[in-house]
Amino acid sequence: MSINHLIFQNLKKNLKNYYLYVFALIFTVSLYFAFVTLQYDPAMDEAKGSIKGAAAMGTASILLVAIVSIFLLYANNIFIKRRSKEIGLFQLIGMTKGRIFRILTFENLILYFSSLFIGIFIGFSVSKLIMMILFKITGVETAATLRFSTEALVKTVVVFSVIYIFIMLMNYLFIKRQSILSLFRVLSSTEEKVKKVSLFEMIYGILGIFMILLGYYISSKLFGGDFTTMVELFSAMVFILASVIIGTYLFYKGSVRFIFYVIRKKKDGYLNINDVLSLSSIMFRMKSNALLLTIITTVSALAIGLLSLSYISHFSAEKLAKNNVVADFSMTNKQDAENFKEALAGNEIKYNEKMIEVIQVHADLEEITEINIEDLNADPKNMTIPVISDKAAEGIDLSAEETLFTGYNDTIQKFMPLKSSGRIELKGKNEVIPQNYLGLRKEYIVSFRFTSGGFPVGIVDETIFERLKKDMNPEIQKESTLFIGINLQDETKMEEANDLFQNMNFTGTNDSVLEMSNHQKRNMGLIMFIVGFLGLTFLVTSGCILYFKQMGESEEEKPNYTILRKLGFTQGDLLRGIQAKQIFNFGIPLVIGLAHSYFAVQSGWFLFGTELWTPMIIVMLLYTALYSIFGILSVLYYKKVIKEAL
Amino acid sequence: MNILEAAKIHKSYGNKFNKQEVLKGLDVTIKKGEFVSIMGASGSGKTTLLNVLSSIDKVSYGTITIEGKEMTAMKEKQLAEFRKNHLGFIFQEYNLLDTLTVKENILLPLSITKISKSEADDKFNTLAEELGIYDIKDKYPNEISGGQKQRTSAARAFIHEPSIIFADEPTGALDSKSASDLLNKLSDLNQKRNATILMVTHDPVAASYCNRVIFIKDGQIYTQLTKGEESRQNFFHAIMKTQGVLSGVQNEH
Repeated sequence: MSINHLIFQNLKKNLKNYYLYVFALIFTVSLYFAFVTLQYDPAMDEAKGSIKGAAAMGTASILLVAIVSIFLLYANNIFIKRRSKEIGLFQLIGMTKGRIFRILTFENLILYFSSLFIGIFIGFSVSKLIMMILFKITGVETAATLRFSTEALVKTVVVFSVIYIFIMLMNYLFIKRQSILSLFRVLSSTEEKVKKVSLFEMIYGILGIFMILLGYYISSKLFGGDFTTMVELFSAMVFILASVIIGTYLFYKGSVRFIFYVIRKKKDGYLNINDVLSLSSIMFRMKSNALLLTIITTVSALAIGLLSLSYISHFSAEKLAKNNVVADFSMTNKQDAENFKEALAGNEIKYNEKMIEVIQVHADLEEITEINIEDLNADPKNMTIPVISDKAAEGIDLSAEETLFTGYNDTIQKFMPLKSSGRIELKGKNEVIPQNYLGLRKEYIVSFRFTSGGFPVGIVDETIFERLKKDMNPEIQKESTLFIGINLQDETKMEEANDLFQNMNFTGTNDSVLEMSNHQKRNMGLIMFIVGFLGLTFLVTSGCILYFKQMGESEEEKPNYTILRKLGFTQGDLLRGIQAKQIFNFGIPLVIGLAHSYFAVQSGWFLFGTELWTPMIIVMLLYTALYSIFGILSVLYYKKVIKEAL
Repeated sequence: MNILEAAKIHKSYGNKFNKQEVLKGLDVTIKKGEFVSIMGASGSGKTTLLNVLSSIDKVSYGTITIEGKEMTAMKEKQLAEFRKNHLGFIFQEYNLLDTLTVKENILLPLSITKISKSEADDKFNTLAEELGIYDIKDKYPNEISGGQKQRTSAARAFIHEPSIIFADEPTGALDSKSASDLLNKLSDLNQKRNATILMVTHDPVAASYCNRVIFIKDGQIYTQLTKGEESRQNFFHAIMKTQGVLSGVQNEH
């Protein structure tokens, strides 16, 4: 048998065993190539929007390379260990290490670079689709064209060749370090011996759970008003991160084992086949993978969290714009409004108009603020709030002593919670008018140009409003005291009206809901796209790594399956046990990752948008579904191993 | 009463053109409560015979009946079910699951029966006492000696009171002290519980603990020896003699 024949045989055998590795390689190459193609595509300029967008794409491509190279190196590490027996055998029959290395290099060369080119081809074919997705979520209307980018090709080939060189370097070091004997032993030495659960582990275990819960608890308090200065807030965030990550590590190191130990203790030796295959096996194995699992969990939590947040933002863009702009078009300048109305009339677009006078006054809110907000650089005794007359607010009629607040948002509510009633004072330049505060309402009546970024608007009786207006302090007024809201009667004309609006020459600050929502979508869409892209790559690579680990584990446990089948357990019995095991194996990191991201999102989502559940659940379900594929694949692999066991 | 009846069993490996016939029409009958061993030189087909009788392997033709049920006609799934309920196994390599404690290993066959936990506990306690492994019940297999492992393995075979127990070279990996310990325990259990045991061995000492020894050569039964009322010592000598004739070499061990 010649060397070439040997290489060819190995290749054939490996392709069957490592089809998922090849798949992952092709997949990552195509993702990378598609991404880089996008980066260099001229049609992307609009979606990128700005220098910032381009920089984000650039950073993302570097992160992509990092994820991919760590994955490939790690996977290669697993495979070279699995093949150590074969390498030992080659050495035993007198092959030099150099020769073995050359065989491996050549074998990998074929496998790797054929995957690379298949990957590039696939990446090229899907790049148009990916671009269309990007344009869709950023709301850019440009035709996506299929375009082969030479820069992308060069970049991809260079990046992956460098990774290949690193892989070969790793293989070289591996072969160099090993003697024939240690090559034969390598697999058994990596798994630790079965031992009783020690007291230390119990402490670890309890500590791990405690730290995670503590992190969660603090995260739920993060924006609840307990941390008011920037320094406190920042330290709390660092603490949460540290506590949760260390907790996760200890959880894998001890807690899983500890919990399973307690369950087993309860069963008092009376384990059924499912327990045997799941509990007892995981109990001993999860510990040795603690670091890997912690990294996978943390990064998936990060990916899910960021994806949720950006989706929340994207999802809430319209509502947020509506809250900010209030009317379809909000204007602050009378002349601009006249011009725009003329233009609308000229195009036969019907509209309703609403004018509201808005003045800014100082207000003493000390009595109704729940916490000390001095740290927020605001004096509760002298807050600047916008005030309107109750005539302008539909369905509200107040007496001269009453003030109602309206249009608050969650962010402000978190930082500056207001009581539901109390005494306040409204201050003109000279006059101070005490008022009865009646509470908060949700509706937005004037645009965000008047509310200093989300402060509630005070509604007072017409008489009081007139008094305040006469006595107003010109220093704190906004550029205009008039809010002009224009609502279209026919929403379908929105785009047409928006085009007109964009082409007007305005002197004041005017906003369009559609424009604002699109702008938000464009910004968040790009971020969402990038995070999604990275998240997907990470998902696939980490799923593959867990799968490879399971492949190894199944082969190590094969003798156990032989025993169990000899004892009379059917393949079906064993497979059910394996399913339970895989639910734990894949489920535990997934559930913890989801829980982490849930608490992360929960603590700060209101800074990003108005809708929490729908976007977050969609992201989580999607992630779970994709992730489960790897669990199912691993069960199929186990099935094969069990079948061969007897 | 016959527990096991095997008639004209043949077993061959390979294909039409290159056939290796391992078993050539053996007839074996084992009565309830018997402790029988099968002896023969390496390659005589004794392990194949055991595998076939215990349903781990399939016969080429012939019939095997255990407790009136014809196993040769059963499907894979039924066979597994049958093994689970009616057969017990002791292997040379112990075949314990090293992620389970001694107690968990032993109780494994009971987990599929509908036996209550307290009943299972009772069974375990008496059996573990009898085999002298009660004290190590919470240890893992890698923390105990080979003899203890094999006794654990034996306990696992006895716990669900199977119709017949198959032992494949149970003393093969043990030192002589542990081996005689184990054999004493096996013959105790055989007498006390009226358990039926079929053991494959090439060790005449081990075989001398049995009631009957079946010698096979080249896939056929060569002869049988019955202990009857003889002492173990005499029986041992008889076995040695037969083995000598069988292999043509005196005192192989």
